[in-house]
Amino acid sequence: MGGDFSQPQRQSIVGIFVMFVYSLQGYAKAFWPILVIWIFKFDEINKGYLLAGTVVFFAVIGVVAYLRYRNFTFYIDPDNDEFIITEGIFNKTKTAIQLHKIQQVNINQSFVQRMVGVYELAVDTAGSNKKEGDIKAISHVLALDLKARLLENDKKIINDDLNIDPIEASSEKQVDADIPFIKISFLSLLKIGITSNYVKSFFVLLAFFITLFDYIKQFTGRDVLQDENIEDYVDESQVSYAFLMLFVIFFLTVIAINLVKTVFTYFDYKIARQKGSLLLSFGLLNTKSTIVKPEKVQITSVTQNFFQKKMNVLELKIKQATGGEKEARKLAIEIPGCNLQEKNAILKLLFKKIPEKGVMLQPNFRKLGFSIFVTIGLPLLVFYIVRDLVVAQMPMIDYLVSFFVVFMGLVQFFIFKNNRVFINDDFIILQSGAWDISNEIIEPSKIQAINVSQLFWHKNINIGSLTLHTAGGNIAFQLGDFTAIKQYVNLWLYEIETSDSNWM
Amino acid sequence: MHSLKNASRILKRNGCHKKGLKVSGLKLEPETLNLKQNNMENFTNETIDTKQLPKFEEVQFSVLHPNYWMVTLMSLTVFFLIIGIGGGLALFFNDILTPFVLEFSIAFVCLIVIVLFFSRVGFKKKGFAFRNHDVLFRHGIIATNTLVIPYNRVQHVALHEGLISRFFGLAKIEIFTAGGRSSDIEIPGIAKEEAEKIKQLLMGKIQKQL
Repeated sequence: MGGDFSQPQRQSIVGIFVMFVYSLQGYAKAFWPILVIWIFKFDEINKGYLLAGTVVFFAVIGVVAYLRYRNFTFYIDPDNDEFIITEGIFNKTKTAIQLHKIQQVNINQSFVQRMVGVYELAVDTAGSNKKEGDIKAISHVLALDLKARLLENDKKIINDDLNIDPIEASSEKQVDADIPFIKISFLSLLKIGITSNYVKSFFVLLAFFITLFDYIKQFTGRDVLQDENIEDYVDESQVSYAFLMLFVIFFLTVIAINLVKTVFTYFDYKIARQKGSLLLSFGLLNTKSTIVKPEKVQITSVTQNFFQKKMNVLELKIKQATGGEKEARKLAIEIPGCNLQEKNAILKLLFKKIPEKGVMLQPNFRKLGFSIFVTIGLPLLVFYIVRDLVVAQMPMIDYLVSFFVVFMGLVQFFIFKNNRVFINDDFIILQSGAWDISNEIIEPSKIQAINVSQLFWHKNINIGSLTLHTAGGNIAFQLGDFTAIKQYVNLWLYEIETSDSNWM
Repeated sequence: MHSLKNASRILKRNGCHKKGLKVSGLKLEPETLNLKQNNMENFTNETIDTKQLPKFEEVQFSVLHPNYWMVTLMSLTVFFLIIGIGGGLALFFNDILTPFVLEFSIAFVCLIVIVLFFSRVGFKKKGFAFRNHDVLFRHGIIATNTLVIPYNRVQHVALHEGLISRFFGLAKIEIFTAGGRSSDIEIPGIAKEEAEKIKQLLMGKIQKQL
């Protein structure tokens, strides 16, 4: 092990280049509308000024990048067990992170970093929402070394306790790290790519088209959607056929985008074991690697839809302890395209056994009634009021509305049918979803707080709701048998309060 | 194996090797509970009778200090005064709205009555309880919510005094967990000295648990 981290040191010298490109990207993002205008008015601008301006601009960014490189140092303070980063040209920032607070150390490589052969090392604690320490350019050997040093703290205490022979431990680590025990195959990624995230991609694509039309309108002054009717291009008799074709093309685009995105993000997904933690690495252009410590996992969710079940693939999502609820979603670690055996192997590593489904609780039928009222009843009421105004412009609206009612009804029915909670001694599993059926698994010891709630008119029929708060998000179950819920709450409280279990 | 390492690590860090936890008459060693899966010499795993467990739903809740109702009334008064004055000025200077003064006044009074009614119900329903091992907070107007936080999951405790509350000698206790905003407890309307005592009690509990 080389590398002495007790003295302040700078990043790799090529870090200047990385900083330069990143600054450039930052400015480009901030000023792109101006750039676009320049490109359009290229002929009208004095070429001399433009050239001079560009040179000065690049020179300034270069100097800034150099100064940022000069002023960026990091070291480990061995006396206080702190990792210290100083940065900033005018506003100096000194970040001190206590080693035992460090949750994750990620080594990533973006495209720019890959070009010059350096890596990025990011330190993450549970404290706040952003990454606390971020070293932009560091060689791979040094990065691995520093990562080991940063996470050493945990190991040291364990070793102190159990007197494990350090040589044995390190050799064990070597063996573990070298052999990834799960590799997600390209085929599995393809399967996941074409079967997941329909709704999300649909809206992303919709938003993209709307912005695109908006831009075209701004630049050309023509409204594509209004001025040019579809009738201009196809016969009137074929309008519905064209609509159908458009829909199919749209749907295929969604699938294609999904596929490309999945493959790019998760290409060459490897999972290795290291000191009882999971070491994940993935990505085609930007390689990411993350460590998941089993004791920090709060919610594990397994998602699978009908197609995926037939193809034997599923998505695993692991939520770790975070500062807030919003970030919880972002920080969830996804493992796409595992098959059943791989899922079981991962769950076994996380929980030491495969979670089994215990006693089942189902929601009362009133839950279905209520969600139908909210998602169908209220919109229908609004439609009834405004129908006379709209119907003249869009004669098809009635068909659309009845389609919406049937579709929503089916969705709500399946959500209700799939919604249930399984409880046994070691696990609470919440099953939910209409098409993508997810199973969220938590251990009772991860519960931070329990909220029980009951509407006053539900007192007589004895149903109520339950929310379990964990450091990685909440799990909620509505309108179940209240007696059973209360009994389980008492049991969980007893278990939490009588043990000093480690939730993080 | 990993859990063993962890558990002993935590126990060592917290220095509670020797301390047992006393719960409803049972003396339990933390080790026994933590290391359920491991074969240990003094390992016992008796079935828990879930019927015998202390029931959170039967806890007697303490109500908020009566003065807190005055605090609520005062802040509502300020709120409605601002709205009332703003609305009144708008009615006075806007010629189109002026003929509807009566209707607006009736609506305003109805709104005040409804808000007062719900505030009163909300005030009546708010209650708190400190058990040996957890804190309970009950609130809600239409639904009755009961939030329970075990002391060994509390991150920190804060005491907050609002401007009006301070005038009435009241304070608010805030109890934070790692579960995010929705799982934090805020108990308003507790007499200042009592709140200080509760805070000390909670701090003591947390210290002991850690």
